[in-house]
Amino acid sequence: MARVKFLCDADRCIECNACVTACKNENEVPWGINRRRVVTINDGKPGERSVSMACMHCTDAPCAAVCPVDCFYTTADAVVLHSKDLCIGCGYCFYACPFGAPQYPKVGNFGSRGKMDKCTYCAGGPEADLSPAEFQKYGSNRLAEGKLPLCAEMCSTKSLLAGDGEIIAQIYKERVVKRGYGSGAWGWQTAYKETIAI
Amino acid sequence: MTKHTVMPDAKETTMSQETRKAAFDRRSFFKALGAGAAVAASPAVVTPAAAVDPGKEETKGRYRESDHVKNFYRVNRY
Repeated sequence: MARVKFLCDADRCIECNACVTACKNENEVPWGINRRRVVTINDGKPGERSVSMACMHCTDAPCAAVCPVDCFYTTADAVVLHSKDLCIGCGYCFYACPFGAPQYPKVGNFGSRGKMDKCTYCAGGPEADLSPAEFQKYGSNRLAEGKLPLCAEMCSTKSLLAGDGEIIAQIYKERVVKRGYGSGAWGWQTAYKETIAI
Repeated sequence: MTKHTVMPDAKETTMSQETRKAAFDRRSFFKALGAGAAVAASPAVVTPAAAVDPGKEETKGRYRESDHVKNFYRVNRY
């Protein structure tokens, strides 16, 4: 069974935020929640790098380890999902996640935050596939339609890769072999000369 | 021994008997309460855990290498 993953090729990301917009629109994500964000390091300085971040669907997910009501589960293709029916909005998963993926619709303490929301890898939730209840709680289920997360499919520079971890890792390796990486990448010396190296 | 010393002893005896009776009643009460609690905590009345127990349908792999996905991989190799 394939293990699906996200991989962001930081050499290609131009911080257009199309992945963020596509995610919000496809899943009708509520106000105040971004399931995906673009993080920029050294913003505005020569050599800045942008990376598109969302839930990384960890193999040994720390959110699942700390959840007091055990509402997380991992599918056979390694997608970490949760049940909003069981979530009590305690916020432990938010503190445990190293990527800040779990988010809440309201500002408050403990249960007043509302049900936790995070990237589902466009794979819905525990409700029946492609049902209105599933869409209302978790957003679309593109995996059940034979598609991949819209953030990756919409990426204009093909920076964000999604799919079978082995295949996308191979695609990334092919890119690095062809164009290099960081300051060794094609075009870097033209842009920054020898002044900046990564 | 004067009456002053005898009288308090008699009183104490009466009080201690009453106290013992009261203590017995209280112990009976707690014994009964404990027995009730033990029945309540017996496995017969334990409710099932509320933790998510996803079945095979929820955890099955939905990813498949459809033509759509193959096309995504192809264009990402450019």
